[in-house]
Amino acid sequence: MSTFIKDFIERETISRRNFLLATAAGMGAMAAPFAFGSGAARAAITDPAIAWSYRDRASAYWNSIVSGGEAFVEAIGKSKDSLVSLINEGSSEKSLADIKAFLAKTNGKCAIACDANDSPNARPVVEAVRDAGAYISTIWNKTDDLHPWDIGDNYVSHMTWSDEKPAEQTARILFEAMGGKGGVVHLGGIAANNPAIERLNGLKNALKDFPDIELLDAQPADWDTTKGTELMASFLTRFGDKITGVHCANDNIAYGVIEALRAEGIENMPIVAYDGNPEAVKLVMDGKLLATVFTNPHWGGGITAALAYYAATGAFKPSEEPKEHREFYGPTILVTKKDAADFKAKYLDAVPSYDWKDFWGPSNGQIKYK
Amino acid sequence: MPRILTRENAIRWAPFLVLLALVILFTAINPSFLSQRNFARIAIAAAPALMVAVGVTFIIVMGSIDLSMEGVISLTAVLFCFLVLALGGTLASGGWIAIPVILVAGAAIGLVNGLIHVRLKIPSFMASLALGFVGTGAAILLTGGNIVKFDDPTFRALLTWRILGFPLMVYVAGMCLVLAWFIQAHTRLGRHFYAVGGGEELAHASGVRVRQVRLAGFSLAGFFYAIAAILQVAKIGQAESVTGSNFMFMSITSVVVGGVALWGGIGGVWNTLVGVLIVAVINNGMVVIGLPDFLQAAVLGLLVIIAVILSTDRRSVAFVK
Repeated sequence: MSTFIKDFIERETISRRNFLLATAAGMGAMAAPFAFGSGAARAAITDPAIAWSYRDRASAYWNSIVSGGEAFVEAIGKSKDSLVSLINEGSSEKSLADIKAFLAKTNGKCAIACDANDSPNARPVVEAVRDAGAYISTIWNKTDDLHPWDIGDNYVSHMTWSDEKPAEQTARILFEAMGGKGGVVHLGGIAANNPAIERLNGLKNALKDFPDIELLDAQPADWDTTKGTELMASFLTRFGDKITGVHCANDNIAYGVIEALRAEGIENMPIVAYDGNPEAVKLVMDGKLLATVFTNPHWGGGITAALAYYAATGAFKPSEEPKEHREFYGPTILVTKKDAADFKAKYLDAVPSYDWKDFWGPSNGQIKYK
Repeated sequence: MPRILTRENAIRWAPFLVLLALVILFTAINPSFLSQRNFARIAIAAAPALMVAVGVTFIIVMGSIDLSMEGVISLTAVLFCFLVLALGGTLASGGWIAIPVILVAGAAIGLVNGLIHVRLKIPSFMASLALGFVGTGAAILLTGGNIVKFDDPTFRALLTWRILGFPLMVYVAGMCLVLAWFIQAHTRLGRHFYAVGGGEELAHASGVRVRQVRLAGFSLAGFFYAIAAILQVAKIGQAESVTGSNFMFMSITSVVVGGVALWGGIGGVWNTLVGVLIVAVINNGMVVIGLPDFLQAAVLGLLVIIAVILSTDRRSVAFVK
């Protein structure tokens, strides 16, 4: 065996041993309070550590989520750096391992905001948090059979966004701009992603009211600008002038579509998008996009951390809240040309300061399962 | 009279025949595939990919591999946009200086890649993959995960200005291809790539300075990745930390499909051109004939395997690893 491999194994063994010891110490420390009395005595954690567990830093969306988390910790008088980022890089295993390590490090005196990366991972994550006596609020991914009220106070809340309705709204705006007739193509997200499915469904719902509009084709562009350009170019060859409107599953794809059309010298094609990124809002203002949908990730990032934090400090008791305060939809704001300038001034130019104790004000009702 | 239908000739022209067959197939299903406008669309899709594939061709001919392209493209694209914006935001206002600077930066990153591989004796596969991650990470750090828009009409003429129906960027890519061919066929460096790829010990024994050749190869590859980055920015008008995504699969596949052997010493930039066109034609054609999306990935994979079977000379190699 080469020395490299041998050294590597040795080092890993030692670090794993240290990790196990640390975890055991952490667990022991957490178990200790239970030995002395009921859980009620430890309902309040003074000054819990705060963490956000999410996918990556290479997207405007997650950056915005984190900026909201940072705004919240600053609002309670802590430094930005006190918000711990647990980046899972698209791995559920890493997501769970990071959270367990954070629980051990803080002895369970912590509040965690989390997107569990995929739905099945949410259960082990919230159970680990409950067992450590810490508090967690989740967004986006969880299975339909997992509910905060079944886990207890430690699983504070879950927020997600329903994309079907807003995608239907953008489709209606698109169809009206097309004069109620013609052909539309849909450039979607990664085919198996939930938001991609919902956004296409929204388009299909709107189609029912517009019999003279034909959905020429719907193909995945994987949320990606380059894919969007190339797919749109191929659509142009296949359908040519039959395309009179384009429905995109997100802003990044729309950027690609606009460039593919520009290469052909096609201006004024009606296009709608989704996500409400700053560049897209500017395109709406310039009239190059008809509409996009903003889900206010900044608020989502802050409020999710705030819910976990205030439940941990005992400011409110989750089990005393109604179900629509435990599982709810996040806000969606439609951005069209007539309100884009106002929208930009309100949400993008200066980030609004939110009342992080108004947990449910901008939310959108209790989650409904199909 | 020399025989035309020799085995060598068949193998030499096989990738081209595969390309021709694909064009005929797609045209038979949807005649609008065979139009100048569609060829221009395919050419736009292929231009940046061609530059990446040409860059990696030199490395593969040497018998090494370079997987740093995604990170290098993301980083150079982002640096390019930042630099132009810092220099006034248009090419005319002095932003053109960014072009040579970025080309040199690309070559420098390639040189670092080569130094890690040659000096630290780390296999090129690992060294370049790791450096690619560093590049992506640096791009994320610079952009903070955001998009950098760069929309100077003069620069975007690469996409919007057409000569004989094809955008300017296609001609730029064509000229760079000729440059690559010149390096490959008419310089000592080009011949040394083949010598190293054909048999490194033999090349070393014959006086080829293998280390220098490798360093030059990786620098050259980095230079071509930087060209690809600039063309990609011209194509989509923006740079971000994922600008380089998908180029790894696209370029390596193209090179192999075009008939350049992964074990080195065989093939060249013309093979790469045909390979890039094959992959671009497949990608475009699958949508044009209306293949359902859930079949596309599988069909792409199958067509790639078939293309490799038809276009590589496998009889001359003792084993494949």
